[in-house]
Amino acid sequence: MKVRFNSMIKVLGVAAALAFAQGAAAQSAGQLTAKFGVNQITPKVESGDISAPALPGTKADVGRDMQPVLIFAYGLTDNISVEAALGTPYKHKLYGAGAIEGTGLLGTAEALPAIAFLQYRFFQPTATFRPFVGIGATYAYFMKERGSARMTAITNPGSGVPTTFSIDSKFTYTAQVGVAMNLSEKWFADVTVNKTRLRTDVNFSTGQTQAMKLDPVSVVLAVGYKF
Amino acid sequence: MRHTKLALAVLTAAVLTACGGGGTSPNGGDQTNKLTFTNQVSFGDSLSDVGTYRVGAVAAAGGGKFTINGDSTAKNEDLNGKIWLDFMAAQLNLPAPCAAQTGLQGDASRGFSVPIVTYANCYNYAQGGARVTNPIGPGNAQAGSPIGETTVPLVTQVSNHLAKVNGKFTGTELVTVVAGGGDILFQLGTLTQVGTTAGAQAFGTALATRLAAGATDPRAAAQAIGIAIATENARPGKTDQSVVQAAVGAAARQPGNQAVAQPAVYGPIVAAAQLDGTTAGNNAVAAYTTANAARLVTEMGTAGAQMAALVKNELIAKGAKYVIVGNLPDVASTPAAKTRPVAIQQLATAMISAFNTQLKNGLGADDARILYTDLYTVSNDQVKNPGPYGLTNTSTPACAANALGTTSLICTANNTVAGDVSRYMFADETHPTPFEYDLIARYVLKDMAVKGWL
Repeated sequence: MKVRFNSMIKVLGVAAALAFAQGAAAQSAGQLTAKFGVNQITPKVESGDISAPALPGTKADVGRDMQPVLIFAYGLTDNISVEAALGTPYKHKLYGAGAIEGTGLLGTAEALPAIAFLQYRFFQPTATFRPFVGIGATYAYFMKERGSARMTAITNPGSGVPTTFSIDSKFTYTAQVGVAMNLSEKWFADVTVNKTRLRTDVNFSTGQTQAMKLDPVSVVLAVGYKF
Repeated sequence: MRHTKLALAVLTAAVLTACGGGGTSPNGGDQTNKLTFTNQVSFGDSLSDVGTYRVGAVAAAGGGKFTINGDSTAKNEDLNGKIWLDFMAAQLNLPAPCAAQTGLQGDASRGFSVPIVTYANCYNYAQGGARVTNPIGPGNAQAGSPIGETTVPLVTQVSNHLAKVNGKFTGTELVTVVAGGGDILFQLGTLTQVGTTAGAQAFGTALATRLAAGATDPRAAAQAIGIAIATENARPGKTDQSVVQAAVGAAARQPGNQAVAQPAVYGPIVAAAQLDGTTAGNNAVAAYTTANAARLVTEMGTAGAQMAALVKNELIAKGAKYVIVGNLPDVASTPAAKTRPVAIQQLATAMISAFNTQLKNGLGADDARILYTDLYTVSNDQVKNPGPYGLTNTSTPACAANALGTTSLICTANNTVAGDVSRYMFADETHPTPFEYDLIARYVLKDMAVKGWL
């Protein structure tokens, strides 16, 4: 935790330094904005069946998670910007589904989706409402996959060897739509919806695999400041 | 350029942030079970027996459970000699189950007579061949078995346990009850006996008559051949082959009948007699089935109702709070039934259905203390749809013939059929392999999780 906190402060420092280097300007080319908000990621799960040996139709479901997020955008022109986010990992709960519906919480995993967006912002920088669309290169990084007694019980019972699993991290892409509202000359609020195409594989220590279509939708509500 | 750098810096920072927490690689997580049981108490038949008969010649042969016995994990990790209750107990951090009673009442000359011993600290009462209430199950000496299995019925198993614990469960035991297998196999065994007896009789008669046809005095010849067959049949160690040889030998000695000694002559005669025998056997089975089907189905239904009554009146009413009741698996899909005529398979299906229906009805509405696990449906599906379960064979027993015939009671990894049998479904004609037991354990544990017990 300590390391994480330190690096966060460092990045904030770097970001702030860059911001001041830019100086105050209109929301336009060469301008940096930072916004802080919450991001709720909801995977739209279509689970494959876990491979043999298993009860046919053994599937999984993945819960949503919400985390704070710090997002920086930089105007390349008055209408085109780049955006990247900084945030804490999303902790998702994995539940039994399909033939094992009702077994409840089987594991958890953390996801860190790193996305660099290229955005197009409509209207003039001074408009009250500025809708925007974006397309992003995405790296979905999975980590801290944790099993449970239940997961072990239905995959390798009584062996004394807890079942572990790992989720393949993937390069993919994300589409974005959103609208920003200028609250004052410096302050704005916006709402963003991101949809990521994400197909990955879960690999269990028992040798079983499971294809998962996660295709998460994330909704970001944020308040930002223009430097 | 500066923008690119910024984007990269932010991305890198994001990844660094993620890595900061330490321990990012997968691990098993919290392996604590939701509930802590104090012990596992099991009642039932061979599907739950962990070694009632692991004594005398059975123990010497490396057997004792109704599966592929012994730890042969060095050979193949699935050949671990475990049954579902072994997997369950280990998963629930409970001691390995041990038989509450051991002993055999069979043929002393073959090492099957071993005094009965009870174990105060063992809570697995299940016995191979045990029925719900009838004390004579398949494998019992009184059913004609040389092994002499004690087949203590479910009702007595439960009363033996209650006597041990002063008539009361503490409520922290995980109790398992799976029965009905002994009941149906006993009845199907009777059917087999009827068919075998009738078939052998018809075969002998046909063989004698057909072999005597060329003799000067066919009637006298048939009589002489019949005596030879009966004599050979009575000799220990006789085989079908030796009976045929004796018959052909006697036939060739009859006046005017030397030609029958030629294989080209007696071969077709023997084949025709065998066909007669098979037909007669099948007819006898069909006749018995027709005459007794209704009674057999009714009796199985009654056994199911009796099992339900035991669960409610002797387990739940006596304080048990976690009782897993498994219904009767699909015996009609086992090799024991699949190798029989369709009429018998249908009868078996009707008997199982009667048992399970009465069992479920008897247990009544959902009870927080009873977990009814549908072993029938999963076993039925496994036979039809083996792939997802990882089963490689659901029709052939993994165990080769042994000194006791085909029972897996003395089967080990050293006397299986050729090839990799580790993921076969059946060890013998009715009993699961350790891999199949592993699948059953997972299924039951899955049901426990759904019930909120795991």
